Amino acid sequence: MNPLSWLGTRRQAMDSEQQARLARLPTPQALDDTLLERCRLVVVDLETSGLNVNRDRILSVGAVVVENGSIDLGSQYECTLFQENHRVTESVLIHGIAPSEVARGVAPADALLDFMAFADNGVFVAFHAAFDQRMLQRGLRQTLNTRLRHVFLDVAELAPMLYPEVTGRKTLDDWQDYFQLRNSQRHHAAADALATAEILLILLSRARAQGIATLAELNSRLRHWRRLRQARIGSL
Amino acid sequence: MNKDDKFAEAGKTAVMQNVQGLIGFLQSYPPFNLMEPAHLAWLVEQAQLRFFAAGEPILQPQDGPVQRFFIVKQGLIRGERVVADADRPDTTFEIGTGECFPLAALLGERATRTLHRAAQDSFCLTIERDAFVTLFSRSLPFRDFALRGVSSLLDQVNQQAQKQASETLGAHYSLDARLDELVGHSPVHCLPDTPIRSAVRQMHEASIGSIVITDEALAPLGIFTLRDLRALIASDEVDLTRPLSSVMTPDPAALPSSASAFDAAIAMTRRHIAHICLVDDGRLTGVVSERDLFSLQRVNLVHLARTLRQAESVERLAALRSHIHQLVDSMLAHGASSGQITRIITLFNDHTVCRVIELSIAEHGDPGVPFSWLCFGSEGRQEQTLHTDQDNGMMFSAASPEQAEERRTLLLPLADKINQALAQCGFTLCKGNIMASNPELCLSAREWQARFDRIIASTTPANLLKSAIYFDFRVVWGDRRAADQVFSGVLRKIGSNTLFQQQMAQNALQHRPPIGRLRDFVVARSGAEKDTLDIKVQGLGPFVDGARLLALANGIAVSNTLERLQQLRQRGVLDPLDADAYIEGYQFIQLVRMQQHQQQEREQRPFSNRLDPDSLNQLDRRILRESFRQAKRLQGSLALRYNL
Repeated sequence: MNPLSWLGTRRQAMDSEQQARLARLPTPQALDDTLLERCRLVVVDLETSGLNVNRDRILSVGAVVVENGSIDLGSQYECTLFQENHRVTESVLIHGIAPSEVARGVAPADALLDFMAFADNGVFVAFHAAFDQRMLQRGLRQTLNTRLRHVFLDVAELAPMLYPEVTGRKTLDDWQDYFQLRNSQRHHAAADALATAEILLILLSRARAQGIATLAELNSRLRHWRRLRQARIGSL
Repeated sequence: MNKDDKFAEAGKTAVMQNVQGLIGFLQSYPPFNLMEPAHLAWLVEQAQLRFFAAGEPILQPQDGPVQRFFIVKQGLIRGERVVADADRPDTTFEIGTGECFPLAALLGERATRTLHRAAQDSFCLTIERDAFVTLFSRSLPFRDFALRGVSSLLDQVNQQAQKQASETLGAHYSLDARLDELVGHSPVHCLPDTPIRSAVRQMHEASIGSIVITDEALAPLGIFTLRDLRALIASDEVDLTRPLSSVMTPDPAALPSSASAFDAAIAMTRRHIAHICLVDDGRLTGVVSERDLFSLQRVNLVHLARTLRQAESVERLAALRSHIHQLVDSMLAHGASSGQITRIITLFNDHTVCRVIELSIAEHGDPGVPFSWLCFGSEGRQEQTLHTDQDNGMMFSAASPEQAEERRTLLLPLADKINQALAQCGFTLCKGNIMASNPELCLSAREWQARFDRIIASTTPANLLKSAIYFDFRVVWGDRRAADQVFSGVLRKIGSNTLFQQQMAQNALQHRPPIGRLRDFVVARSGAEKDTLDIKVQGLGPFVDGARLLALANGIAVSNTLERLQQLRQRGVLDPLDADAYIEGYQFIQLVRMQQHQQQEREQRPFSNRLDPDSLNQLDRRILRESFRQAKRLQGSLALRYNL
């Protein structure tokens, strides 16, 4: 079995309805002067068949929206994608999505279109966002033949930046512990997204207290923080 | 199944797990635990999750009418009210995980009157006003809770307590039930000149145990019972043609039909009679018998009172005491409140004490000096539970110090005998020797007066402690006029002695209710009492001390804590809402304590007032915490009143 079978070669052409849906997707939010509480923050968590961003596939998408400083529990999103030839890998042990469940899922093109419609023009937020960003990029390119233009904010960066006094917390579990958040259904895309969103609420509150009001201000603080961190790592 | 359905279904199951998680969370807290799952799911789908950093205001009076309903998912919210002359705002309430707010403001479509502030980093589930209204109209348990707040939970607790106790007894009605609801048949009655024989035939045909003798206008004149018939037959001359009025008991006990089953039980116990007429506007409307009240019970209230009053020996009295324990069980089963139960227990204890005194006099010989038997402390307050010790004294009259000494010498041996006999009946001897056999507590009226005056005049710590015991004061046996006179002197002196009041207030603040700022309850950290709190000293103490101080300072002579609070409410010394909250809080703590004692009794463990809050269910814990908080508020108001 060719592990690359999902790439390019077997891509199915989109039907006209799917094309139309793709065309209707809005222009994403830029990191501009929009107030933090005014924008749609889409906290996303992808469960994948493994950790290789070039080879593994998206199994399910979970998302929770933070808007106006609150999580709307009525509009959570989760979708298990229908993927042919899904095999059991070590990842199954983490996310617990059985092959049978994947087989019952929704066709990737529909699922991703639906997800992008749900995300709307929002800013994506994830824990270790680079991974989710690249997985989603590849998924969109290969399935919908389109480029992902949404921006991503990384909770794994925001948390240590806004809580410099906290050291040695690296994983989502670590930060959940630190903020004493209980979450029984971890490693389920929707549950992980909700856990990340809860942390995001705390971070937004802290950001407000530190005078960070807009996306642009948050982004500039982040760039500054990354440079500082680089410098510190370099000096070691 | 088409693609859209498939998509919707797969997504829904997973998201439902988040929703399910929140439903599960809500289901561990009242009132949500009583709501239908569909209503809960709807609630969660309407909800937003919000975060509030410690110190952040959540709702403020100036925000205008409240637009949202909040459920604390995690953290602690504090209600603050600014009090004039206080540098820090007064915390009026705390709202913890699983609790919700603001109910009154939402229902009243107004702004909150209290600033709600996050005391810790907190997450709240919120729903918009419209969703709250929908939920309110759809879910009965939610509506009940929203309208009646914690009181509706108190009902639940009482139902629980009742259910628990009734599992062993099978009781079907509440002691709060109106008498006219309990009494089914219309009363059997006859005119005074009815011959005995035909009256008895009438009783026999209706198969009832009593007949009421009335005049033409149905005003009750007397009662004739099977007991009277037995005595009549046993006597030598039986003439069944005589009019019934010649053998009836005149002036029968009467209550209005709106009185409660508990009122009837109290009247029957006090006078040890088994029948009470229901009289409305002077007309007989029914007869309630003991059988109507306690039909299914092994323990028989009136019979027990009678047997206690007529017990032929102290040994017999002691043996009868175990019936009182069964009685408490059955009263809990009938939904009696803790106040009602302690009053009944006190009544039986009074019967026991009186009988002990009578038996002791008979055995020892009458000392020839009339005396009154006083009791202090919890017995004085009529708040005894099964766990009781002796606090008593004697009062007699004497014209001179010499005569007082002489009479004391005569009375002390009898007092000692009474104390020992009471000990035999289960009233533990007082460790502090506050007993009538102590020469310092067997005093003439004048000596008592002087003793009380000393306590009030010099406020040493020892005297303050004494005031806490002696000023909960009651006469159980003998003439009460002299004692009442002494006590009204005490009230006058305390009323005009603000220094003494202030010292008492300080004393009343000594034992802090066991709730902390962050954790639910403050419990002992180590030792044999690890993880427990003292429900009597820390929980009841603040109410008892506070009510005593305010009652004494305001010339209120009753000694029962609930009655004191009620009178303080009537006289406007306490705000009505505050007084009601104190009364509910006090009663609940007492109920928890009593249930614990019953449990210990069943398991044959020694009585203890140490309670492990973790042994309570979620509902009881929450109300206990609320009750302790009321104790804290009472202390706070004392501190303000007396500038401490």
